[in-house]
Amino acid sequence: MDTELIDGRELSKVYATATGPLIALDDVSFTIEEGQFISLVGPSGCGKSTLLSILGGLEDRSEGDLVIAGKRLEAPRADIGMMFQTSVLFPWRTVRENVLLPGVVLKLDRKAQSERCDELLDMVGLNGFGDRYPKELSGGMRQRVALARLLAHDPRVLLMDEPFGALDEFTRETMNLELLSIWEKTGKTVIFVTHNIGEAVFLSDRIFVMTPRPGRLEGIVEVDIPRPRKADVMRTPRYSELVFDIRGMLGVDH
Amino acid sequence: MTMAHQTAEMAANQTQKASAIDSFIARERARERRTHINNRLLATGFGLFVLAVWHISTETGLVHALIIPSPIDTLMATGRVMSASYFWPNVFVTLSEIMWGFAFGLSSGVLLGVSVAMFAVVRATIYPYLVALQAPPKIVLAPIFITWFGFDQPSKIAISAVMSFFPMFLNTLTGLASVDPNAVKLMRSLTAGRWQTFRYLLLPNALPIMMAGVKLCWTLAVLGVIVGEFVGASAGIGYLIYAMNFQLDIAGVFSLIILLSLFTVVVYQLIEWLESRIVFWQQL
Ligand SMILES: Nc1ncnc2c1ncn2[C@@H]1O[C@H](COP(=O)(O)OP(=O)(O)OP(=O)(O)O)[C@@H](O)[C@H]1O
Ligand SMILES: [Mg+2]
Repeated sequence: MDTELIDGRELSKVYATATGPLIALDDVSFTIEEGQFISLVGPSGCGKSTLLSILGGLEDRSEGDLVIAGKRLEAPRADIGMMFQTSVLFPWRTVRENVLLPGVVLKLDRKAQSERCDELLDMVGLNGFGDRYPKELSGGMRQRVALARLLAHDPRVLLMDEPFGALDEFTRETMNLELLSIWEKTGKTVIFVTHNIGEAVFLSDRIFVMTPRPGRLEGIVEVDIPRPRKADVMRTPRYSELVFDIRGMLGVDH
Repeated sequence: MTMAHQTAEMAANQTQKASAIDSFIARERARERRTHINNRLLATGFGLFVLAVWHISTETGLVHALIIPSPIDTLMATGRVMSASYFWPNVFVTLSEIMWGFAFGLSSGVLLGVSVAMFAVVRATIYPYLVALQAPPKIVLAPIFITWFGFDQPSKIAISAVMSFFPMFLNTLTGLASVDPNAVKLMRSLTAGRWQTFRYLLLPNALPIMMAGVKLCWTLAVLGVIVGEFVGASAGIGYLIYAMNFQLDIAGVFSLIILLSLFTVVVYQLIEWLESRIVFWQQL
């Protein structure tokens, strides 16, 4: 059985800067199976966003080969969705209109999109907020809208760059739990960038640990904590063990 | 103590709380209204004060009537000017010049701004020249335009259009460029084409800055026409002001200046009203 969805081989990215070439990503190889939840962790500047942009087709790779769902990735694709640290909602569009944006751009069936929008707003707990404008929402609510928009055109791969990084601790934990339940329901393949090792262990099947200068994939950690996971996972010895393993790999404990 | 008793007590508490909130809101509203009225009174008071100083200094002969006419003289001159047979034809000449100059300046500013922002070739070809031309005062062109296009309306329209073009062009360009890079990434990730990105992201995102450009564009369109009429014309408000000034009819000049200012401000307000409609999300 071959369930491999993403195959990255010897991916490298070099930026030409004023002070000479900068290796943002150096010889990164991995495969990801369909439906897996992957986290990228590593210190600032290790190339997490760069790798995500390459996976989204937004940034050309300098070297290497990348195949997603059986096709070489050459340009952005509708089956790959992106979400950022800021919600990037359009302030002139209502919550609803923001969620409908992917469907409008991709010229999808309006009626189906409208129904899907209702479902998604329901799913992220924003029932009844469809006619509000982004300015009228809190930061957490805006990220929920961004999450609904991410799912609107039903992409197979979700690339999330610190999506809850700007939220407070409480909101972030709630959002993590919700993301987990949405992921369990939809079976999407998720690649999730975070600075928070605990968050990565709690959410992921596998964790890609990256180190900077140049950006390398230091190792891949399998998270063997059974699912479904509840918040009390964080009290188990296995959880702490994994967190400390990863801290060790990143050299934070020296 | 019965259950019913407790419920009644809770209900009483609730009503008490509700009425407290109501009275709080009422007090806040009253405070807002007072501030509003106070501000109005201050502004009106200051206006009346200036009017009084104007009146007293002119009536007592402190300032000569040939330098500044009194408010009453100005008011009477306004009546005289507005009922004169030459008034309305001249008004129409100037109005149509302003409207055409504004329309040309605005549309060419938007068109070129969009072209420079959206096409690398256009940008490389003409942008350096537009930036260079933007620096010198456009008023220097007025005499040349009169030579080229004659004493009539076309020369005034040309000056007005050239002067009002630049703020519209630059604001369109700035507006289209000042976009969140992540929003552009989002559109690209949705496989949006260049014009989809323009329509759904760049243009609406640019509207607030573009509307600020429209207001500048309007003020300069009026300025351009009046300057053109000063330099050389046979009709128009600027021409009338020039002629009356020459005849030392200073009260007449004042009345025309006031009428022109009123007109400009009214249209400006209209544009601001339109702005609040078009970029409604800024006020939310
Ligand atoms: N467009 C660019 N031009 C030049 N250098 C870049 C560019 N984008 C990223 N870099 C460099 O590449 C390296 C990796 O950047 P990247 O944004 O991928 O890091 P990151 O792991 O996402 O960091 P953070 O956790 O702070 O978001 C950094 O050294 C950065 O300065
Ligand atoms: Mg990053």
